[in-house]
Amino acid sequence: MNKKFDYDQLLNQYLFMKDFLENIPEAVYCKDIEGRLTLANKAYRKIFRIKSQEVIGKTDFELFPAEWAQRMFQDDQSVFKTGKPIIDKIERISQSKGADQFASMTRAPRYSDQRKIIGLIGITRDVTKRVYFDYLKEERLQMEKKLEMLEELNRSKSEFISAVSHELRTPLAIIKQLFLLIYDEIVGPVNDKQREILVKVRHNIERQRMMLDQLLDMSRIDRKKLSLHYSLVNLPDLLKDSEDFFEELASEKNIRLTYHFPKQEIIIFIDAERIIQVMTNLIINAIKFTKDKGSIKIEIKILETKVRVEVIDTGIGIAKSDLSKLFGKFVQVSKMESVERKGIGLGLSIVKELIEKHGGEIWVESQLGVGSKFYFTLPRFYTANILEKEIRGRINQLGAKNRIVYLINFLIVNYEEFKKKIDSREKKLLEALKNIMHATFNDMFPARIKKQRVFINDLSRGKFSIILPEGSAQKVSRYCELLRGNTKNYFIKNKIDNIFIAIGILSYSAKVRAEASKKSADNFIIKELYIGSEIRRHKRINYKTNVEVSLKDQKKYYWESMDLSLGGICLLGEIPLKTDEKVRTSMTLLKKKEPFHAMTRVAWIKQIEPDATPVVGKYKIGLEFTHIDDKDKEILSQELKLYYD
Amino acid sequence: MTKKKILLVDDEKDMVFAVKMQLEAQDFEVLTATDGQEALDKVHRDKPDLIILDVMLPKIDGYKVCRMLKFDKKYKNIPIIMFTARIQETDKKVGYEVGADAYLTKPFEPKALIEQMNQLLKE
Repeated sequence: MNKKFDYDQLLNQYLFMKDFLENIPEAVYCKDIEGRLTLANKAYRKIFRIKSQEVIGKTDFELFPAEWAQRMFQDDQSVFKTGKPIIDKIERISQSKGADQFASMTRAPRYSDQRKIIGLIGITRDVTKRVYFDYLKEERLQMEKKLEMLEELNRSKSEFISAVSHELRTPLAIIKQLFLLIYDEIVGPVNDKQREILVKVRHNIERQRMMLDQLLDMSRIDRKKLSLHYSLVNLPDLLKDSEDFFEELASEKNIRLTYHFPKQEIIIFIDAERIIQVMTNLIINAIKFTKDKGSIKIEIKILETKVRVEVIDTGIGIAKSDLSKLFGKFVQVSKMESVERKGIGLGLSIVKELIEKHGGEIWVESQLGVGSKFYFTLPRFYTANILEKEIRGRINQLGAKNRIVYLINFLIVNYEEFKKKIDSREKKLLEALKNIMHATFNDMFPARIKKQRVFINDLSRGKFSIILPEGSAQKVSRYCELLRGNTKNYFIKNKIDNIFIAIGILSYSAKVRAEASKKSADNFIIKELYIGSEIRRHKRINYKTNVEVSLKDQKKYYWESMDLSLGGICLLGEIPLKTDEKVRTSMTLLKKKEPFHAMTRVAWIKQIEPDATPVVGKYKIGLEFTHIDDKDKEILSQELKLYYD
Repeated sequence: MTKKKILLVDDEKDMVFAVKMQLEAQDFEVLTATDGQEALDKVHRDKPDLIILDVMLPKIDGYKVCRMLKFDKKYKNIPIIMFTARIQETDKKVGYEVGADAYLTKPFEPKALIEQMNQLLKE
């Protein structure tokens, strides 16, 4: 063997070991049996923050604070005595300044050739980050526990409010019923002075009842227990039903209340009681904040896929800073001395929840001293003209006096869209539906009624009506239940989804029949059946691109779009545009790569909750196309087709 | 014309007092019961023309009473108006499911109750 070669190899090994020791980020050291350092790498100094040049030959007592050195000394001694290593012991390395440092210390005995312990080797690692991470994890766990507790607390609060308001309602109901004995003069005549008092009592009973209802609603919303009870309703009729009541209230303050409704029927699928509640809230607010001789306008506008209702007053208005808080809980924004602070400030937050539950939007525009405009929308997806002329005629012909005529309407609400989906199977499906209706009917009703009943078949439009000149409400209801079940089974068996069916039962007494046949039924119940996911009349597609928005005053914005249809576009805007404002939009279509321009109108606005997932804009703005050049129209429909397929 | 016999069932005695008076003013004969068992006993004994039934009742609750009567051939034709202080939508649904003919929320306008009753009595 060549000596020189040996030397080189040794040198290389030495350099390698040195390199290894100096570069490893862990502190590596050796101590002799007296605790004096015999080796320490670069990281040793760094981790223990030792400034002095030489550490070799020194003990911990010379390098570290006494208390700490003592601790380390004890650990060293334990290794020397027992021969057992200490592994991954976490120590706090005290700092005079700044954050605490933590180190993981590992020590193992070092033996002589005679198997005698002659010292130790140690590795110390900075684990501050790990310790903090564990600490944070622990903290997060604690936070989660706390949050859970808070939620639990909130839940029991809501349940308590619910229980209390229920209990408070009972005596109030009794008070009102007893009160009405006097008020309605059942127990004797009431003189004018007494009447004046009784009117005030009645007013306050109503006020209390309303507040209890609001509390109940709020606790239901909190517990996600608020559910809607849908039926098909003609919106203008519904709103006009309470016209007298509000006109009387308004006239007490000399306020002119006017209604501007389109002539046509607007039949939509809503919870009628809840929408009345919304209107009551908005109109009473408007009356409250409008001075003598002011005016309130209630208007319905038909939009592309929605109906928009507006309550516009000439009241005191709402300050800009208050607008955003308006729909929050327990908010009373009026600081005007002339307006009494009444109520518990839950009204508008409930209104918002109710509208959003219907799938609508609610927003407000206001100017101090000029007035406020409240807008809300309701989806118009489930439109259906329930009473066709033919059916009306038949109902009037049929039915002896004193008998109630029943009309059962079976309606595939989303029929147009649905037809396209099933295309070739359409005929088979309609035949099957007809059979289900007949078979269910024959199982249920006696021969006498079978002879009189009239089936009106308009299945090519997804409609089917049965007129029953007699029968009981229960039986008709049970028939519809059965029909619903059988239809559902059929669709599920044939794997047809995305269908929305409304089965309506309408009853017409002789009195109603004699009056204008246009008038709606005495009573109607809707049983709905829905299979599949959400439907919309106009097919909208997700569409993310930049849109140039030019306002009348030359101002321009570049906003991101959210969805697009033949009827309009939805944008994420940073400022709320004005309702009904005319806006010009331009963009480059994503697939066709061609420019597209359209005149639009602001149809609806939805403020995005500040705590929602981060989004670019703060407002979701629905624009309806009012004018598109023929060329652009063609490009748009081509573009949309590319997405439909 | 004989007076129509109404059975009014509610566990709140003051409520019974008030509604009874309102109905008597309209020339109805009013029998009363304050729990579900008593209500069933009185239906058997007195065969009322119409029943006004509260939902929350001791012993047997209103829904159960309603269901029992509507499943009994002898009594299923007696119209039943359910009423309660609750305004939960689900109550209404349950009310119809157990076969109630009409549903009223307390407190109510006597006019609304009377109209509802007259309509059901005519049928």
